[in-house]
Amino acid sequence: MDGEVITSVGIDIGTSTSQVVFSHLFLKNTSGCFSIPHIAFVDKKLIYASQAHLTPFKTQTTLDDEALRRLVLSEYENAGLKPGDIDAGAVIVTGEAARKENAEMLLNSLSDIAGEFVVSTAGPDLEAIISGKGSGAQQISKARGICVINFDIGGGTTNIAAFDDGEITAKGSLDIGGRQIRVEDGRISYISKSAVKIAAAAGFYPELGEPADPDMLRGICRAMAEVLEQAAGVSPADDLLEEVRTAGSTFFAAPGNAKAVCFSGGVADCIHSTGGDPFRYGDIGPFLGEEIAGSRICSELTPLRGKETIRATVVGAGSYSTTVSGSTISHHGSVLPLKNLPVLKLDHFEQERCYGGDSEYLEEKIKWFLGQNDTTRMVLSMTGERSPSYARLKTLAQCVGEAMGEALPAEAPFLLALENDTAKALGQAIEMIAGPTRAVVCIDSVRTEQGDYIDLGRPIMDGMVIPVVIKTLAFG
Amino acid sequence: MTLKSTLLGRTYTFSSVKEVLAKANEQKSGDVLAGLAAESELERVAAKEALSRMTLNTLRENPAVPYEEDEVTRINQDALNETVYNGIKNWTVADFREWILDCDTEEKDLLRVSAGLTAEMIAAVTKLMSNLDLVYAASKMRVPARCNTTIGLPGTLSARLQPNHTTDNVDGITASVLEGLTYGCGDALIGLNPVNDAVSSVTEVLKRLDDIKNNYGIPTQICVLAHITTQIEAVRQGAPADLIFQSVAGSEKGNRAFGFSRETVIEAHELLRKHGTSAGPNVLYFETGQGSELSSESHHGSDQVTMEARCYAFCREFSPFLVNTVVGFIGPEYLYDSRQVVRAGLEDHFMGKLSGLPMGCDCCYTNHMMADQNDLENLSLLLASAGVNYIISVPASDDVMLNYQSNAYHDITAIRAALNLRPIREFELWLEKMGITENGRLSKHAGDPSFLLGKKA
Amino acid sequence: MDNSVIEQVVEAVLAELSRSEGVTVPEAPEIHEPEERDITSEAERAAVLVKNPVDAEAIARMKKYTNARVGVGRAGTRYNTQTLITLRADHAAARDAVFMDIDRELLDGIGLFAVESRCTTKDEFLTRPDLGRQLSDESVSVILEKCVKKPDIQIFAADGLSSTAIKANLPDLLPSLLDGLKNRSGISVGTPFFVKNGRVGLMDQVSELLEARVTCVLIGERPGLATAESMSAYIAYEARVGMEESRRTVISNIHRLGVPAVEAGAYLAGLLCSILKAKASGVGFRRDTGNEG
Repeated sequence: MDGEVITSVGIDIGTSTSQVVFSHLFLKNTSGCFSIPHIAFVDKKLIYASQAHLTPFKTQTTLDDEALRRLVLSEYENAGLKPGDIDAGAVIVTGEAARKENAEMLLNSLSDIAGEFVVSTAGPDLEAIISGKGSGAQQISKARGICVINFDIGGGTTNIAAFDDGEITAKGSLDIGGRQIRVEDGRISYISKSAVKIAAAAGFYPELGEPADPDMLRGICRAMAEVLEQAAGVSPADDLLEEVRTAGSTFFAAPGNAKAVCFSGGVADCIHSTGGDPFRYGDIGPFLGEEIAGSRICSELTPLRGKETIRATVVGAGSYSTTVSGSTISHHGSVLPLKNLPVLKLDHFEQERCYGGDSEYLEEKIKWFLGQNDTTRMVLSMTGERSPSYARLKTLAQCVGEAMGEALPAEAPFLLALENDTAKALGQAIEMIAGPTRAVVCIDSVRTEQGDYIDLGRPIMDGMVIPVVIKTLAFG
Repeated sequence: MTLKSTLLGRTYTFSSVKEVLAKANEQKSGDVLAGLAAESELERVAAKEALSRMTLNTLRENPAVPYEEDEVTRINQDALNETVYNGIKNWTVADFREWILDCDTEEKDLLRVSAGLTAEMIAAVTKLMSNLDLVYAASKMRVPARCNTTIGLPGTLSARLQPNHTTDNVDGITASVLEGLTYGCGDALIGLNPVNDAVSSVTEVLKRLDDIKNNYGIPTQICVLAHITTQIEAVRQGAPADLIFQSVAGSEKGNRAFGFSRETVIEAHELLRKHGTSAGPNVLYFETGQGSELSSESHHGSDQVTMEARCYAFCREFSPFLVNTVVGFIGPEYLYDSRQVVRAGLEDHFMGKLSGLPMGCDCCYTNHMMADQNDLENLSLLLASAGVNYIISVPASDDVMLNYQSNAYHDITAIRAALNLRPIREFELWLEKMGITENGRLSKHAGDPSFLLGKKA
Repeated sequence: MDNSVIEQVVEAVLAELSRSEGVTVPEAPEIHEPEERDITSEAERAAVLVKNPVDAEAIARMKKYTNARVGVGRAGTRYNTQTLITLRADHAAARDAVFMDIDRELLDGIGLFAVESRCTTKDEFLTRPDLGRQLSDESVSVILEKCVKKPDIQIFAADGLSSTAIKANLPDLLPSLLDGLKNRSGISVGTPFFVKNGRVGLMDQVSELLEARVTCVLIGERPGLATAESMSAYIAYEARVGMEESRRTVISNIHRLGVPAVEAGAYLAGLLCSILKAKASGVGFRRDTGNEG
């Protein structure tokens, strides 16, 4: 088979707005006709993008999941698609919305209408990466071979990712955004905790219900922009930078070699075009945009306009969250798709033990991991050796087969994900040990980290590859 | 017609002109494989002796493949200048050799006579010439050609920059291009041999090469050496191309094995005239190489030098910008060792020039031949002395895609320095402007591909 | 001229030389203890050898995009010495791959018996491809005596243009391939063997001799400087002497840095079964996944 097109959905539910996009992802065998196949994405095309809807809330802090469901369904209709047409994609709940207590329920309620393989993903680090890909920062970084920092500045958070020559080198998130302070009828109607902190550090003490004083709000936004300067590494960092770090995010360690900066998220549009009624959105977004435009970030680094601004995250979710496995893999198609599988990642020493045949160690490790996660399903993951001898591969297969056989229930499939291209051989060797009744799925070209979750899709391209989504954090 | 000769008291007889031509060849493993080579050294010389007394007229009347059967023969015979031919037809091959070598015979004389020569006459005289004969005779002739720039003028040595990549990755290709430019290579062409012959992939590479050419304002031309029909389709779909390339053979059957005919080349020529990105008028690029006809069983019982000469007869019909022999790529069953490769390189260059072609050479060898980099360096130095228009250059001599070795980027700068040759003028000015050379010598930035990254024209 | 005159002249010349302007003698570099190194190692190959580059990181990145030898630096117009010797080492490895024979012990270790083509020397092998495509008469008898007839799948190996490739890959590929075929029930696999001085076309004679349905030869590729270890598999359904080359299915680039031997073995097991099922190979065979059953 020469090529295949899959349809992917991206749903982004943010603190202030929610969006739906549909993309076509083009897969092709990129190896020559004398080589073993290598399937890869060769092109991505946005086929439909909804407008940015205000995210429906039941109360100040609780999302309206029923209204959201209706919203998403109507966008499917607008795009002329049905949930069954969707092959891949991601629902992302971002910013403050993700911290709300009903987020998990919401994601579950969307998963069924968003297509069979669509999965729920969240976590500020992942959002940072996804928005940096969606904005085009990653592509610019790769095309020019430089380090680019992407700031995705939304309502509640600013997700930051650095790409050096296309490779992600730092990620993080700060509680800074355009809707950290809201204004209704000329009065302050909401102030977030982090906005209070930043304001106080700058000598401002805004109160709920008091008239919105443009000078004060501008001053607070200047203070916010200064925190972003610290994050970008163009100003020395102080305690505030750590205090406003988004819960659950990594500390963003600014790379020293950054050359350019790219902005996305709703506030990005206010950076690129200033002026107009400052309270047109009922928040401080326009002030924040203006202050960032005048900050050291834009004078010390080359500011670039992203390909996508407010849609960066949703486009990233729709087009960049899905990858494909290696093209020589081993699987029983019938057990797929499988979602939200916790990943047990073996480190270098543990991997070495397994290649050496220490199945008792691995069995204990798997049992412990299943207990920790309160589950009976998991993916065993390791980097794997690049070109092991067949004897070594068989020892590893023996070790994995025995350990998984002991630790997992009889009906549970053996699931393995390697980085190096040896999955077909390993899968074949494990099948010989596991016997014909056990389902074995062994894929490669997949890089995971401890704590990841993984989704394995239904095989595509005549069964040659499996779509894979790796999440750094999943609910539940 | 005399098809016999006597040496050391022994008489050797030959049954055909074809046999004399084949046996008069310097030894080549391909002729041995084809069963055409002389059986002893004396028989080889006896054939040379017989050939030396043969007239050009006899050679015209005995083409390697009959006129009725073969397009290449027809192209060659039909295009001949009869006035010139009538003036020389009674010369023996020995007369012809001595006239070429005569101190009073100049470039203009040689190129005028060229119009009255068939491939078989050119092959015949080549077989009587020593290596230094071939170098000296070729050095009399310069054949410039113009596409975006003019190459082949006296005092210049140009290079094709060949940035091949194992998967046609455009970033990897770019790395090799930038490296080559900083060694002063690429004034003849920046041209890639693709792995993937799909139109989409060829187009992507052409666009990248075009971007590099335009971004840096490089006075040169670009080409992706896919199959001619792929390139035609890519240009039709809007891909930028200065030149269209094809490998050619010395017989119609051989060209059919390569998947094209005269009509295909005419189509490509017309297409470039309308949609090409170059100024012209010379917009085609051909590659040849001794032995390719035997490998596709289309040699019609002729030796590989004669078939190679016929390639040039085909090429000159289309006034190409570049023609080069890929002299050591084919393997030891056709050219066994460095001796045979060096000889073939000198023969091909001379024959191409005498055919009125802007000749270049890919001085190369594979790892299963009895040759090494020293032999290749020798050949390129000999050819540069003979006035070759351009030679192929790759990063540090290693072509990672075609799995053979050619001249390194470094070699181009060394040969230019040793023989006091220069890149073409426009390109030399560009090198100075970019700071790669200073007053004609490599600057401290030469050889640093990162130096070009921040620079745009 | 007596000696004193000569001495005077020499002194005068030396004095003149020492006065002449523009002559610069490079300062002697500090002497370091020679370090342990292997210039053919991956780390050394990845090293940027350009002196005082504008952006060393950028060159290192370029080197990641291609295995072409960029960023190698120079000594005047020529290679620096490390590059020169690395090239010589890689060429030497390639030459050895072409000219060295496979050890008997290696073949014994993986249970293969050895036969020969009609070529009696490497020289003949290189210049007479026709003879490399035929088995010697004695080899025909040995094969007929030792091999299972009419197998569904017949596998054999040949040195081709790189014995190094066979040495590096066959011991891991062959068992992976045979195990992969064992996993698929109902398929008969012939007796594997090794052919010295063999070319691809020899598989046609083997196929006819043993009346195999699918024949697969594992053969060393012509070595490049990048690797001398690359092996290919050529596969044909009902191969016959004189058939079109386009009927062969080819899988190339099997080596440590390409497709690893064990993985290629597992892939080939699936591919051979697909070809057997499709009753076609080469252009007539639409490549499927080989990933299932």
